[in-house]
Amino acid sequence: MAYNIPEKYQDLTPAQPLDKKTLNKMVWLSCFLQASFNYERMQACGWLWSILPGLQKIHTNKEDLKASMAHNLDFLNTHPFLVTFVMGIVLSLEQNKADTQTIRSVRISAASPLGGIGDALFWLTLVPITAGLTANMAMEQKSIIGAILFLVIFNAVQFIVRFGLMYWSYGLGTKAVTMLTANAKEFTRAASILGIFVVGALIANYGSTTLRLVIGETQINIQSLLDGVLPKLIPLLITLGIYALIKKGWTPVRCIVLILVVGILGCAFGIWSGNSQAMDADGNTLPGGYTPLVEWYQYPTPEE
Amino acid sequence: MEISIIQALLVFVVAFIMGIDQFSFLESLYQPIVTCPIIGAILGNFELGVVVGGAYQLVQIGSMPIGGAQPPNAIIGGIMATVFAVSLGMEATADGVGAALGLAVPFAVFGQYVVTLTFTIFSGMMHKADQYAEEANVKGIRNINFLEMAVLGVLFGVISVAGLYGGSALGETLQKFSYDFSWVMAGLDAAGGAMKFVGFAILMKVMMSGEMWGFLLAGFAMSLLCSANASTSGATLILCAFVGAAIAIYDFTTQTKIKQNAGSGFAGGEEDGI
Repeated sequence: MAYNIPEKYQDLTPAQPLDKKTLNKMVWLSCFLQASFNYERMQACGWLWSILPGLQKIHTNKEDLKASMAHNLDFLNTHPFLVTFVMGIVLSLEQNKADTQTIRSVRISAASPLGGIGDALFWLTLVPITAGLTANMAMEQKSIIGAILFLVIFNAVQFIVRFGLMYWSYGLGTKAVTMLTANAKEFTRAASILGIFVVGALIANYGSTTLRLVIGETQINIQSLLDGVLPKLIPLLITLGIYALIKKGWTPVRCIVLILVVGILGCAFGIWSGNSQAMDADGNTLPGGYTPLVEWYQYPTPEE
Repeated sequence: MEISIIQALLVFVVAFIMGIDQFSFLESLYQPIVTCPIIGAILGNFELGVVVGGAYQLVQIGSMPIGGAQPPNAIIGGIMATVFAVSLGMEATADGVGAALGLAVPFAVFGQYVVTLTFTIFSGMMHKADQYAEEANVKGIRNINFLEMAVLGVLFGVISVAGLYGGSALGETLQKFSYDFSWVMAGLDAAGGAMKFVGFAILMKVMMSGEMWGFLLAGFAMSLLCSANASTSGATLILCAFVGAAIAIYDFTTQTKIKQNAGSGFAGGEEDGI
């Protein structure tokens, strides 16, 4: 990467606390967290867009704004409704001009666990309850009340959570950060430990790359052999490999292209697992997720 | 069924909005219970739309988009199920509309391909975002977000309108296409799943130093252990954050104590002497 993000901001005087108007604006923008979702950084660019009003108020120094924007494009994946919690914490750190590395470590550590909590709370609890009840209303009474009720309940909860978390965590963060700035160097170190621990956890948790290969007369499943050695070995190896490439000066976009080529070529020969979601004429899914272009081994047919 | 230009245009607009709403904005408009009645109203059979919406919603509850995994697309699925139910004049009961849900599946799968493709292409756009950030170009960052929303919206609109005119014949073509080229889509799926490792590697580059390797592997191990156990797997990342926080807080306390003692080294030395 051409631009090296500095460790410290140039202007280290803490900025004025953000006013209500700016905070509210960021809550509304947080609805677009996933507007530019992608496989490499996930919500990063939407995240940056959402907190930009705050960053612009905090960093009146142009160079500092550049640095802040650049590091706020790190990989980020959290729950879209709980994101304002992370925003509040990060903004309080930015406001106190904490080291950039501290902010990056705290951000990934705070954001990642919220993803799982949010999925459990919203997608696995709130939606099934509200949508389940209202879907039955729709089918039995054939009335639109069900849909309206669903929208009202769901969005009331959503916005109470968004606004509540923003103000709570911003207040909390501002209080905690002033306490921690006395030991900034130690705090950066501790935050990095937590950050790197969480990244290690993310590799195992999100790493889904597996092999499809089944080889030989005895139908040896290579993936289950690898799992016997170390589960999630492939995700770990790919991450370390890309880390080495990036250290060597590869740009992220070159890594992305490499992954794309290796992914599609690999599936042409049936090496990687992949779900094409395709179906045959009878509506059955394909064995192993897809049919390779070159079929050089026999994928076991599922037992009837 | 005769379809007027106005109807096609309205379907396009609805699909455009829902295509965006599935990831951004209210993230609830796109649910079939809301989308299907609207499409039903446009096509002139509101009641049927309500029933299809209810039926599709119940199917959908079992497959929410969780943790980056994408089930066949609920928006295109819901829109096309309503189109089929209305055009084939199905009975407005739960059993009556069942066949419409089945006919919609190839379209839902195709909607998912569109999402996968967009997410892949915009991984490349992050390079552009980095440049905008380095120039403090606020509008540039905003425009990338607008662009992806527009792309998703237009593609969803096009598929829906194509489905509106093409009907089940188009559904069969799509199904055959995805069957013949399943390895390409699987390749995109596999590559998409691996792209997040680039994001992880960038984070590692920031935080990594000699002694940190141990913590990276410790986090990796903790995550494997938690996810292997059915009762803790749902809370894997929270549990990892607990353990990581314990280590970090301990380190912080130790390091600040060392610093304090180092600062009072002279005074302490004299006291020891007495």
